[in-house]
Amino acid sequence: MDCRAALMNIEAKADGLLPREAEAKLAGHLAGCAACAAEDAAILATGPALRALTGIRAMEKAPALDAMWTRVRAGIEESREARRRPSWIARWAWVCAAVALAVVALLFYPAGTDRPPFHPSSFDVAVEEVESEVATVALVDKGEDLPRVIWIIEDAKT
Amino acid sequence: MLLLLSLLAVVRTAEAADTVTVDVGAVYASNEGASIDPALGTIRGKLRSMFNYTSYRMLDRKRLTLSVGETGEFELPGRRSMRATPLRARGGKVRLSIRISDGPRNLLTTTLGLRRGGMVLVGGPTHQAGVLILIISAE
Repeated sequence: MDCRAALMNIEAKADGLLPREAEAKLAGHLAGCAACAAEDAAILATGPALRALTGIRAMEKAPALDAMWTRVRAGIEESREARRRPSWIARWAWVCAAVALAVVALLFYPAGTDRPPFHPSSFDVAVEEVESEVATVALVDKGEDLPRVIWIIEDAKT
Repeated sequence: MLLLLSLLAVVRTAEAADTVTVDVGAVYASNEGASIDPALGTIRGKLRSMFNYTSYRMLDRKRLTLSVGETGEFELPGRRSMRATPLRARGGKVRLSIRISDGPRNLLTTTLGLRRGGMVLVGGPTHQAGVLILIISAE
């Protein structure tokens, strides 16, 4: 294996793509080539260094991230609260509207505007006095279940 | 708010006690045909059992809410009219002074004592081929 092929295999190994057989040949080359061995060592060290750097940056940004997350959570809570508040207000608005309607109905609803058929609750009638200038008047009482009748007889017509 | 509603209900009840709603239906009873106006409600059967007419038709109906001492006038078919005046009464009773006129002639003057929701009939004045029967109720 020459150094050019070895460098390609070193990169493939770092990516985890090198077959086991080729990895054994590469190890044989690295044992006898100090330059390729140094390159291999440098590439192997790159991964941990990158991870360490990312960790450091994350630690540096942690307070800012925390602050941002706090703001996001506060925003979510505020939005939930805003959603809860209108439903509470709406419920009371309905109650107020119902009470107002009842007051208006009590104040202004005219009793007796409808015209249901006659459904008397009683036929108990006392005729205190009765008189006529031009007719004969008869009181007809056919029992408690029937209405009392005052019958006007005009000149013996009816 | 409940207190206000209760107060309003009490006021309405007191007002109702001081007023009388007089309902007058003018029915034309005759032997022309054999129909009974559905507008007469439950009193249809009673009219048929009390009188010998075959047809009962409601010509007019008027309802007035009157205070005690206030006179309400009801126009009746055939130039006739009826005047009703609620009088002072005790308990759930209603007293009504009724005067029915035919032009200048006084057909009937009477004073009635009814329960609220009670009814009395005044009939006899001729009308066309039959007679008028007035259904007078007070609430």
